[in-house]
Amino acid sequence: MTQHEFHPRVKQLLDGELTLADLPAELRAEGEEALRLLAAVDRSSVSVPAVTWRVMAAIERRRRRPALWWLAPAVAAAAAVVLLLGKPSTPPATVSATVVTVRFVLVAPGARQVSVAGTFNRWDPSATPLVRSGTADTWVATLALPPGEHQYAFVVDGARWVPDPAAPAVDDGFGRRNSVLTL
Amino acid sequence: MMRTGMILGLALVAAPLDAQQTIAERLTGRVPAEIAALVQELGSAAAGRGLPVDPMIQKAIEGNAKAIPADRVASAIRGVFAQLDSAAAALRDAGVASPVDTVEIAAGGFAITAGLRGRDIAELARTGRPTSDVIVGLRVAGTLAAMGVPREETVRLVGTSLRAQHAPGELLALPGRVQSEMARGATPAQAAAGLARAAAAQSRHGPPPDRGRPPHPPAPPHP
Amino acid sequence: MRAVLAGDRDRYAVLVERYRDRYARYAARMLGSIDAAEDAVQDAFVRAYDQLAQCHDPDKFVGWFFLILRNRCFAEQRKYRSQVSLDAAAAVPTSDRSDDGTETAERRRALQRALMGLTAEQREVFVLKHVEGLSYIEIADRLNTSVPSLKMRMHRAYDRLREQLREHA
Repeated sequence: MTQHEFHPRVKQLLDGELTLADLPAELRAEGEEALRLLAAVDRSSVSVPAVTWRVMAAIERRRRRPALWWLAPAVAAAAAVVLLLGKPSTPPATVSATVVTVRFVLVAPGARQVSVAGTFNRWDPSATPLVRSGTADTWVATLALPPGEHQYAFVVDGARWVPDPAAPAVDDGFGRRNSVLTL
Repeated sequence: MMRTGMILGLALVAAPLDAQQTIAERLTGRVPAEIAALVQELGSAAAGRGLPVDPMIQKAIEGNAKAIPADRVASAIRGVFAQLDSAAAALRDAGVASPVDTVEIAAGGFAITAGLRGRDIAELARTGRPTSDVIVGLRVAGTLAAMGVPREETVRLVGTSLRAQHAPGELLALPGRVQSEMARGATPAQAAAGLARAAAAQSRHGPPPDRGRPPHPPAPPHP
Repeated sequence: MRAVLAGDRDRYAVLVERYRDRYARYAARMLGSIDAAEDAVQDAFVRAYDQLAQCHDPDKFVGWFFLILRNRCFAEQRKYRSQVSLDAAAAVPTSDRSDDGTETAERRRALQRALMGLTAEQREVFVLKHVEGLSYIEIADRLNTSVPSLKMRMHRAYDRLREQLREHA
């Protein structure tokens, strides 16, 4: 064995077939060195969002059309994958020339009334009530808002201020959080 | 570009119309007298320094709506003033021509509320893009920071996108794209880093998907 | 016909979204650079689309796609081998800087550099087991080889890594 080779038992440790406690005393230090090596492995995930649209753009130019009928069962489990491809996803909005239509949604079990208050309606809890939609717990309202940076929160039962769980949040200066909507 | 100009033109017009009402008009009956007086006082100071007054009025109204005690509202309003002042200083440091656009200052103030620093504002302003683009960039940067993207990655992503001359619509789409990546398990930093790489690659290689790379070697035998 | 084809492309896009990051990590550790990994994964997905008719079983798509990507990574390494070892120190993918202490980040970079000093086959078995978390049996199945030969490869990799880390400590 040259000086660089790990002892076979330490290699079993690296393979996950032994634990440090299984090693004899004289191999402990080498075992710890081996575990430090493994601890330095970078397992962090990698994010490559550009790949999707580049692949699809390249495919658009393809002449051949393979039969993809069998793909349907394979992707059935992919459920709520959102294909962004450059469109904002939260909250859902449509853009017209001057205003943006925004749909506010809150799931609030047990609530008797829900409204949304923010920079766009002078923080008035009575100005924009939400209505129940679909299930009893889902409240919605639709507003036309000008482009810009808006802050808001939901008001439940007239008194409880609740930031939007699905939106980015900033400190409101009063010890709570406001939700942010940038259009 | 025409449409963007029209949209931003409306945003710019909205502010002066509000400002034409005096502060007293907007706050009477909505906030306690002492708060209205504070906003009047800070409003004069703000006007003298070219700062927007609207964010402080908004904070006063918000505090009242949330039934916050007057002393806390007062300190929050002073905090807004300080943030606007920092944003204005950062923009001037970055060489933005005087008088600095109040909408741009307000956007910088928002970015600071979201956790960015003065030098981050300055770095984004130094990209040399038109004011309307920088305004959108600052708002988007604040939104990204509010989503948990660390400052360094936020500035890198928005700065790279601005330098790549992305249209405001593309900038506004960044938070949604970061959120989509996060839904897939990326951390905010990883998501932003991935998008920044894509924007930088676009700058290097031109608009997608023609990147001008040499042709690939022929495919190896199918396994 | 056009509607059906458009739907097929949408379904393929869903597949791409679902798998691309996972494979990007493998490619990034193999090639030592996220940029190179993006290129490799993109090309592999496009190539896989072209050859989809040859993948008869939807359950086998993952393994079949992996081999396309693997071939692409190995080809890339053969072509740009000297460049990759030079670039490894500069363009090594690391995890979030905000999460790590600098010491941890430096150790990760050192290990990735050491990985680039292995043969592609050695690096691959290490990445599949210790980054992707596959068992020897799963790796053997995917690479169509035996567990003993994989272990031999891996054990040589361990020794090489130790040597590299000590030389550059």
